[in-house]
Amino acid sequence: MKFNFWYFTSLIVSLIVAIPILTIFFSFFESTTNYFEILKNTFLLEYIFNSFILLLGVLILTFILGVGSAYMVSFYNFPGVNFFKWALILSFAVPPYIYAYSLTAFFENYGTAFTILKSLFGEGDYNRSIPKFDGMLGAILSVSFSLFVYVYILTRASFYYQSQNLIELGKNLGFSKLKSFTSIILPSARPAIVAGLSLVAMETLSDFGAVSFFGINTLTTGIYNSWISFDDLAFANQLSFYLLIFIFVLFILENFSRKKARYHSPTKGGFKQKEKINLTGIKSFMIFSTCALILLFSFLFPLSQMLYWTIIFPKNFFDLNFQQLFINTMILVFLSCLTLIIFSFLSNYGNRVSRSKFLSILTTFSISGYAIPGVILAVAFITFIAWFDNTVVDFFELKSIKRIFIGSILGLVLVYFIRFYSLASNGIKSGYEKINRSIDESAYLIGYSKLKTFLNIHVPYLRNSVLLITILISLEIIRELPITLILRPFNFETFATTAYIYASQDLLEAAAVPSLFLIIIASFFILLTSKYILRDRDE
Amino acid sequence: MKKISILGLFFVFISTVAIAAEVNIFSARHYDSDIQLYEKFTSKTGIKVNVVSGKSKALEKRILEEGADCIADLYITADAGRLGAAKAKGMLQGGLTSDAIKSAVPKNFRTSHWVGIAKRARIVYFAPERVSSSELMGLTYESLSDPKWKGRLVIRKSNNIYNQSLVASLVKNNGKKATAAWSKGVVSNMARTPKGNDRAQIMAVAAGEADIAVANTYYLALMLSGKKGAEQQEAAKKVKPFFPNQNDRGTHMNISGAGLLKHAPNKANAIKLIEFLLSTEAQEHIVNNTFEYPMIAGVSPHPLVVAMGLDFKQDLNTKVSSYGAKQADALEVMTAAGWK
Repeated sequence: MKFNFWYFTSLIVSLIVAIPILTIFFSFFESTTNYFEILKNTFLLEYIFNSFILLLGVLILTFILGVGSAYMVSFYNFPGVNFFKWALILSFAVPPYIYAYSLTAFFENYGTAFTILKSLFGEGDYNRSIPKFDGMLGAILSVSFSLFVYVYILTRASFYYQSQNLIELGKNLGFSKLKSFTSIILPSARPAIVAGLSLVAMETLSDFGAVSFFGINTLTTGIYNSWISFDDLAFANQLSFYLLIFIFVLFILENFSRKKARYHSPTKGGFKQKEKINLTGIKSFMIFSTCALILLFSFLFPLSQMLYWTIIFPKNFFDLNFQQLFINTMILVFLSCLTLIIFSFLSNYGNRVSRSKFLSILTTFSISGYAIPGVILAVAFITFIAWFDNTVVDFFELKSIKRIFIGSILGLVLVYFIRFYSLASNGIKSGYEKINRSIDESAYLIGYSKLKTFLNIHVPYLRNSVLLITILISLEIIRELPITLILRPFNFETFATTAYIYASQDLLEAAAVPSLFLIIIASFFILLTSKYILRDRDE
Repeated sequence: MKKISILGLFFVFISTVAIAAEVNIFSARHYDSDIQLYEKFTSKTGIKVNVVSGKSKALEKRILEEGADCIADLYITADAGRLGAAKAKGMLQGGLTSDAIKSAVPKNFRTSHWVGIAKRARIVYFAPERVSSSELMGLTYESLSDPKWKGRLVIRKSNNIYNQSLVASLVKNNGKKATAAWSKGVVSNMARTPKGNDRAQIMAVAAGEADIAVANTYYLALMLSGKKGAEQQEAAKKVKPFFPNQNDRGTHMNISGAGLLKHAPNKANAIKLIEFLLSTEAQEHIVNNTFEYPMIAGVSPHPLVVAMGLDFKQDLNTKVSSYGAKQADALEVMTAAGWK
C-alpha cells in the first residue's frame, strides 16, 4: 500500500467527517442522569411511532407528487409543459420550516384564510369551517412539498431516458395507458424513484425546524431533548440506535438503487427521442390544472403568504438588515463550497490514481455525515472539541482551541463540510465515472503529468458537475438551520436563523421578511442551474 | 469572487479577536426591542453588546461545553426555571449584589447569581359569552382540574417551558402526588390535544373551540395592540383575562432574567448592563414593546396591560427560584398524565 499525498488527504477527510459519529458513540459510555426511568418506554414508542408515521406520510406524498409530476411533463404535451418542467423545481427553495410557518399563518384561527373569507362574504364564524393543518399532518405536508423535488428530478431524468421501444412494447401488447404506466414505465424507473425517495427519507428523519415548530416528538427531537435538556445520554443513545437503524436501511437502499440505476442509463447512440402524447381539450386542461395546483401549493402558496405579511407589516421589511444577512449567508456559502469542492476533488482524484480498495471504502464511510441530523452533528462537534481540548490540548499544555472552533466561521464551515461532504463527493464521483480511464492513460502517454491531466482534462470535463454541486451546496447552506443556530459567532445572523428566531418568539409576521428573501435567493440559484438539473442529453 | 474571499478571510480573523470594551450575551429572548435597548446602552457607555441568540437549552449546552473558554458574560432567558437550572449546573457566579440591583428588584425575583428584568403572569382567559362570573368565582390553578371544565380548556404542550414553570410552582405548593392527580384532571378537561403557542390558545377561546385558556399576560396585549393584524385585534376583544388564586397565594409570576456566567470575561460591564436594564428608561422601553410588567417600582406597564387590571395579587410566596428545581418533576407528572 502506497502512503502518499492522495492517501493522506482521503484519510484526513474521512477522519474529520467521522468525528461526530465517533463522538456520539463514545459519549454514550459516560454516566447519565436517568430521569423518568418508568416513562422511557412510552417515550421511545412515541418517538419511533411518530418518526415512522412522518416518514410514511412524506414518502407516500412525495411519491405521488414527484412521480406524478415527472410523468406528466415527460409523456405529454400540453400548454405550459416546458414552463412546468423547471417551475416545479422551485419548491426546493422553500425549506420545510418556512412552509410550516405559511401553513400555520394561513389556516390558524383568524389567519389569512379567515381574512380572505371575511372580505369575500362579510363577517361570519369561519374559524370552525377552516381546516387546520397542524401537528403531524402539518409536518407531513411541509416536508413533502419542500422535498418532493428530489423524486421529481431523478424520476424525470429516468423517464426521459426510457427507451421509446419500451413504450411501443406496451402499445403492441395492447396495454391501456394505466397498465403501461404501472407495469412498464414505473418498474423501469424504480431505481431512480427509490434513490429520490431515500434522499427524501434521510432529510425527513433529520428535519428539525418543521417538526419542532409543530411540536412533534420524533427520534431526532427526542435525541436532542434527552441529550441537551436532560443530559440523559443513555436514552439519547438508545434513540440514536433506532434512528441509525432507520438511516442504515435507507443508506443501503439508496446505494443499491444507485448501482442498479446505472444499468438503466442509456447506451450512447441507442437513444431515440420519445414521442410525447399531444393532449387537447378537457384532458389538456386537467393535466395543466394538476401541474398548476402542485406549483401553487408547493411554491406560490408559501411565497404569497410571506409576501402578504411583508406587505401588511412593512415595518419589518425596513427593519431588516438585508445587506448584512446577505453578506453573512454568502460568506458561508462561498467558504463551504470552496472547501467542499477542493477536498472532494482531492479525494476522488486520489481514489482514481491510487486505485486503492481501502481508500475507496474509507471514502464511502466518510459520506455518512449527510445521514446524521444537523442538530446532532452540531452538538457532537461541540462535545468533541471540548473533549479534545480538555484532554489532548491540556496534556500538551497548549492554548485552548475551543474559541477557534466553537462560535466561529471556521467551526461552522467545518460542520457544514461534515454534513454536506457526501453531496459534493458523490457529485464529483459520478462526474468522474463518466470519464473513461483510457483518457487518463492516453494523456500520460503523450507526456502529461498527473497534475496537467487533472487541470487540463478532468477539470474541464467536470465543469458542469462542479457547477451543479456548487448550486446544490449553496441551496443547502442558505436553508440550513440547526447547525448555524448552534455554532454561529456573536452578532452573526443569516436569513434562516433570523426567520427562525422571529418564529420562535411568536413573531411569524416578522419571520416573513427573511423567509421571503431566503426563498427569492434560493429561487435565483435554482433558476441559474435549472438548465443543468434538467439537462436532457449527456454532454 | 476575489473580493468575497478576502472579505471571508477578514471575517474569520475578526471573529476570533476580541474587542476591548464589550459585553457578550447568550440570549434565549429575541425581541428587536432588546437589540434597540442594547444599542442605547452602547451609545451611553461605549460598551459594545454582542449577542448570540438561540434556544435556551442549546445555549446552556454550549456554555457548559465551552467551560472556562466561554466568552459569554450573561445568559438571558425568559423563564426563571432555566436560570435556576443554569445555577444548579454551576454555570453561574454570584456577584449581582450591587445596591442598584438590590434596591430595584424585589427579593423574590433575584438571587446573587441571576436577576429578573421583567415580569409576566400566567393567567386564565375566558369567553364572557360562555363562562359566567359565578363559574369563575374563586378560580385557582388547582381548580382547573374540576370536572366542570370538561372539554372546555385549552393549554399548550407539556414541553413548553412556561407550563413547566407553572406546574413546578404547583408541585412546590401542593406536592408531587397532588399535582400528578391534578395533571390527570387537566388532561381530561382539555378541549383538544395541546397544540400551538400561547396566542393560539387565546384565539381558540375567541373562535369558540374552548371556553377557557391558560396563557401569559403579554399575549393578549400584543393582540389588542394590532401588531398582529386587524383580525387578531378583533378576536382578542372577545376574550377576557382572569387572574387566578386571588384568595390564597396569588397569581403565578415568572420573569425574563439575566444570569451572570461563571467565566464571564467582562463581569463589570455585564453588571453595568443589568443595572441599565433596570433603569427607568430601559424598563419603560421594555414594557412598551413586549407588554411585560416592569421589574422596578415607579414604571407603569403599557396602557393595554394596565387595562387588563393591575390590582391583582401576585404570588410572592413561591420563590421563582424554586421553579428550576421542580421543573423535572413537573414534566414527569404531566407526561405521566398523558399531557402531550
